[in-house]
Amino acid sequence: MTDGRRAIYVYGVVLASDRTLIQAKGVGREETGVRRIPQNGIAALVSDLSTDALMAARDLRAHWSVLEEAAARTTVLPVRFGTVMESDEAVVDDFLAPNAERLAAVLAELDGKVQLSIKGFYDEELLLRQLLEETPEIARMRERVRALPEAASYYERIRLGELVAAEIDRHRASDADLVLGRLEPLAVAAKAEPPTTKDAALNTAFLVRRDRVDAFSDAVKRLAGELGDRVQIRYVGPLPPYSFADDGATLASGTWA
Amino acid sequence: MTVASATSPRAGGGYLQRPGGGSLAEVVDIILDKGLVIDAYVRVSLIGIEILTIDARIVIASVDTYLRFAEAVNRLDLQAADDSQGLPELMESVTSGGAKSKTQGAIEGVKEKLGIGEDDDEDREKEQASRSRRRSSSRSRSRKDDDE
Repeated sequence: MTDGRRAIYVYGVVLASDRTLIQAKGVGREETGVRRIPQNGIAALVSDLSTDALMAARDLRAHWSVLEEAAARTTVLPVRFGTVMESDEAVVDDFLAPNAERLAAVLAELDGKVQLSIKGFYDEELLLRQLLEETPEIARMRERVRALPEAASYYERIRLGELVAAEIDRHRASDADLVLGRLEPLAVAAKAEPPTTKDAALNTAFLVRRDRVDAFSDAVKRLAGELGDRVQIRYVGPLPPYSFADDGATLASGTWA
Repeated sequence: MTVASATSPRAGGGYLQRPGGGSLAEVVDIILDKGLVIDAYVRVSLIGIEILTIDARIVIASVDTYLRFAEAVNRLDLQAADDSQGLPELMESVTSGGAKSKTQGAIEGVKEKLGIGEDDDEDREKEQASRSRRRSSSRSRSRKDDDE
């Protein structure tokens, strides 16, 4: 975008009947207010932008503040960070109008529900100690590796690493089952996301009705107590339904990420 | 920005009742990877935004791992040396060859990039206050909605 030209930053889509006001300042140096562009029963949440470029740090925060606030109050389909369109007319003609029916249907389906995400991380040391106690073969192999000089134990070390990796996978699967077993009954839907780090035990997104959020949080708390020091739980939300507004379908003039 | 209200403190085992909303570091992978994508032909491209986005993603993704390894390594220092031998290779790579200071550098880098850091405590307090107001209003709102 060229210097000083006006453009429209797009945050997400809500139902046009939704009158929630967003207080958070918009993306860009001028921190303009968030407004809506309605069309065919849906509305885009946008703000005006007239700077030459975005700044990742500040604007990622601003983008998130708007969506976080919106998600706390209403159902919003989030648009990917950094999406800017030419004008209000472009937002209507190229984005809202061609996709109105489909977006309205998704919004109706997700109405009154929020995403709550749970990540679990192993305490690596505790986990490894547990594996040594549980699995005699790992303990045996460890003794053998320790008795040999490093150069002579190459294959043994690989084998030991394989055993450990397999056991960690087994723990991941059973911990994921435990978490799903406890929390899925309280949710409308659950979706396993790829783990973000090597020590991740699980990463699951839940779609939860707003009126069940407290019950869900209590269950998470109990679960965290049960998992103890072994798995550290991080619990984030309410988020826009990022993981559930996403079914791989292609839209006219747009695709679902 | 509220940070870590979602996180149960490592040592204490205390756990917060409510989900922590919105720590940027907690959700950055979601924000950057997901969301409706509007066709490139009808978007205005912004100078540098793609590069900055990729940058933020890479640095942020590494931070959690680095922090955890650093913590694990710190714990090991307190114990007999032979206890550490069973730990995986990755641990070794963190402890050996000055990787620790590299980690430090990367974390500082992220803080700069995302503006997390010095001013954050203040931010956090302000946010916490406004968040609890927001939360309670959104809760009463959602109850109202449900009654309708």
